[in-house]
Amino acid sequence: MKRIGFLVNPIAGMGGAVGLKGTDGKVEEARRRGAQPRAKDRARIALALLVHDENLDFLTCSGEMGEDTLKEAGIQRYQVLYRFEGDSSAHDTSLATHMFLKAGVDLILFCGGDGTARDIFDVVGRDIPILGIPAGVKMYSAVFAIDPATAAELVMRYDIQSLRDSEVVDVDEDAYRSGELKTRLYGIARTPALMGKIQLSKHVFEEADEDRAKKEIARFIHEIMIPDVLYILGAGTTTESIARKLGVHKTLLGIDAVKNGKIVGTDLDEKTLWTLLRDGQEAKIFLSPIGAQGFILGRGNQQISPRIVKRVGIRNIIVVATPHKLRETPLLYVDSGDSVLDKVFGDSVQVISGYRMAQRRKIFQSL
Amino acid sequence: MQTKILLDEEQMPKKWYNVQADLKSPLDPPLHPKTQKPIGPEDLAAIFPMELIRQEVTTDRHIDIPEEVQDVLRLWRPSPLYRAHRLEKFLKTPARIYYKWEGVSPAGSHKPNTSIPQAYYNMKAGVERIATETGAGQWGSALAFATMLFGLQCTIYMVRSSYTQKPYRKSMMHVWGAECIPSPSTKTNAGRSMLEKDPDTPGSLGMAISEAVEDAASHSNTNYALGSVLNHVCLHQTVIGLECREQLAMVDDYPDVVIGCVGGGSNFAGISFPFAGDKLTGKHKDVDIVGAEPASCPTLTKGLYTYDLADEAGYTPLLKMFTLGHDFVPPSMHAGGLRYHGDSPIVSRLVHDGVMRAVAYHQSEVFDAAQTFARSEGIIVAPETAHAVKAAIDEALKCKKTGEEKSILFNCSGHGNFDMTAYDAYYAGSLVDYEYPDELIKEAIARIPKIS
Repeated sequence: MKRIGFLVNPIAGMGGAVGLKGTDGKVEEARRRGAQPRAKDRARIALALLVHDENLDFLTCSGEMGEDTLKEAGIQRYQVLYRFEGDSSAHDTSLATHMFLKAGVDLILFCGGDGTARDIFDVVGRDIPILGIPAGVKMYSAVFAIDPATAAELVMRYDIQSLRDSEVVDVDEDAYRSGELKTRLYGIARTPALMGKIQLSKHVFEEADEDRAKKEIARFIHEIMIPDVLYILGAGTTTESIARKLGVHKTLLGIDAVKNGKIVGTDLDEKTLWTLLRDGQEAKIFLSPIGAQGFILGRGNQQISPRIVKRVGIRNIIVVATPHKLRETPLLYVDSGDSVLDKVFGDSVQVISGYRMAQRRKIFQSL
Repeated sequence: MQTKILLDEEQMPKKWYNVQADLKSPLDPPLHPKTQKPIGPEDLAAIFPMELIRQEVTTDRHIDIPEEVQDVLRLWRPSPLYRAHRLEKFLKTPARIYYKWEGVSPAGSHKPNTSIPQAYYNMKAGVERIATETGAGQWGSALAFATMLFGLQCTIYMVRSSYTQKPYRKSMMHVWGAECIPSPSTKTNAGRSMLEKDPDTPGSLGMAISEAVEDAASHSNTNYALGSVLNHVCLHQTVIGLECREQLAMVDDYPDVVIGCVGGGSNFAGISFPFAGDKLTGKHKDVDIVGAEPASCPTLTKGLYTYDLADEAGYTPLLKMFTLGHDFVPPSMHAGGLRYHGDSPIVSRLVHDGVMRAVAYHQSEVFDAAQTFARSEGIIVAPETAHAVKAAIDEALKCKKTGEEKSILFNCSGHGNFDMTAYDAYYAGSLVDYEYPDELIKEAIARIPKIS
């Protein structure tokens, strides 16, 4: 029996249809503009596909935060753990998630957007896997299934073996409303993936295990590290595994630097990075694509500015990613903030994906 | 407009051609992995019959093909040489493209050209069982066929990733009475130690070789057989090139370019050595000989020319060859037969000396070429063979640009009838363009054993 914590953010997505580019703190404005709740409808599509799965036990919240949708979908095996009063809020999401955590659910299935993902992640971190039914205005986080039906399939096929890392991204809503996409890597959650379904038997051995793939990447990188070179490690668990192989501790979300096997700085800002590169210091940068969109530069690692990239040299930027991540990221993007520099990356890049193994991947280049 | 150029059965070569006779200086000798001194025949006697050991080192230019071997080879040899009129027309090239079709053998590839003589010499030496390895299953099925004909038992260690991917190759081995075991296995010390290190390993040709060699060395009634790399294997494959030369002469042609795909090097050796001989002896100095290899395992284009082990565990002699390092496990791409860290010492030497050259391709472009070939000439080639097709098409397109009317010959080494999952992946857009991070690796490859 799988115990699923189920939660709906009823207002998620309301801002999008009325041009608000997000609903956080704008519910009244959205309602005034005529926005209708849509999250419930999205959630119901997924739940309708789970009605006959007798292996699922749902733990949920009262009313529009979960119970209503379960009822409408015809699911009877549920228990209400959290009851909210008045209008539901981010605080309710947080309290409900605490209840799920306490109850020890196997997976949290939620319907919402980036904001909901962040609220849940704040409580469970990497302790409980989370999966989003997409309903928000912005879904830059990688915890979302591509659509409600896929979310249902992921729940049905879920087992602990099929988990992968997925970034939770924080988008600056005010900047977003003024047409600027400013994202920050907020955290790295664990999310079920459809490995069995999308992989061909060819790739079973090399791709079935994310941890194994990361270890293989780290083993290779460790082998090619040269004394006196400054290694700048970008955010994420793949670069973290490189640090682990070196026996040093790396911040998960920050940009850290290593030289001669020792940490020389963690969570570095642009200025400090620039200082470290003084006096002709030879350097290499290890980066992993960030977020569901596959940005190598410009999302979550703006510290690696155009001048840093130019100083280190594009040929010394080494992209690393697991085969599974690459399969989910058909195109890679570069948005360093200098469009001329972005072009220099060309239309493809070598991505280290295993021990002495790489894949040639396309970089999206606008015309 | 002649399409098939055919030889009569009595025109099948009666002798193999040994290119070692025409090398300017002898090959560097294989070295003992422990003493690092040249090995002698006695070092190999535990796993090979004496006649094959002799063929490994001889510098005689021609070696007789035994009558009993010829008798079996006649089941499908001489194989047809095709003029690829339809492909030429499709490409709008002034080049003349010829392909030698080796897919007509019972096993569907060039491999029986050597499995038959190897099984024969073992039978003559009183050996009862042969242990071997196989990558994509081509060699395993070819040896299963040959050992059955000469009444020998056969145990085949099949690279684990291929064992799962190519169940029908395994079935063929069973039909011909052989035992097929996924490698690494728990049957040998080498296999157990590899599984202990990495229980989920996809396996590699290097690992499977270690297992088969150990099996042979530890059973007195058992010998070992290798489907590529070694000199005697390349020797047996020269029937391909020898026939081609005769067939081309029948239409008054001689190739400007000779192409084969390269894994361990035997099919490339087979089609090219007779022409390399012509080049070395000055008869045709300008013939361009091209080996096509995968970008994910680019031994000839990115490897080092040095002594390295032929297997993973270190049971085999050190061979002077192009290598990516014996501990390199190439990615599980579809052309499983080209997943080998090293290369034939003779092919390596000829590439090193500039007699031959090599090119490397990504998977997707190779399948583009295979599709073009299937849609023009009809044959669905093996993913390995598709590398040669790609190189031939590239050469033909160069001619289109320059207007040169070159004669291009390539070895169409095997059919892809058991490789349809690879084609499915191609159409599903899920082929991965693996490549070898050679720039980053230059430091790593320094771990190869140093020979003073």
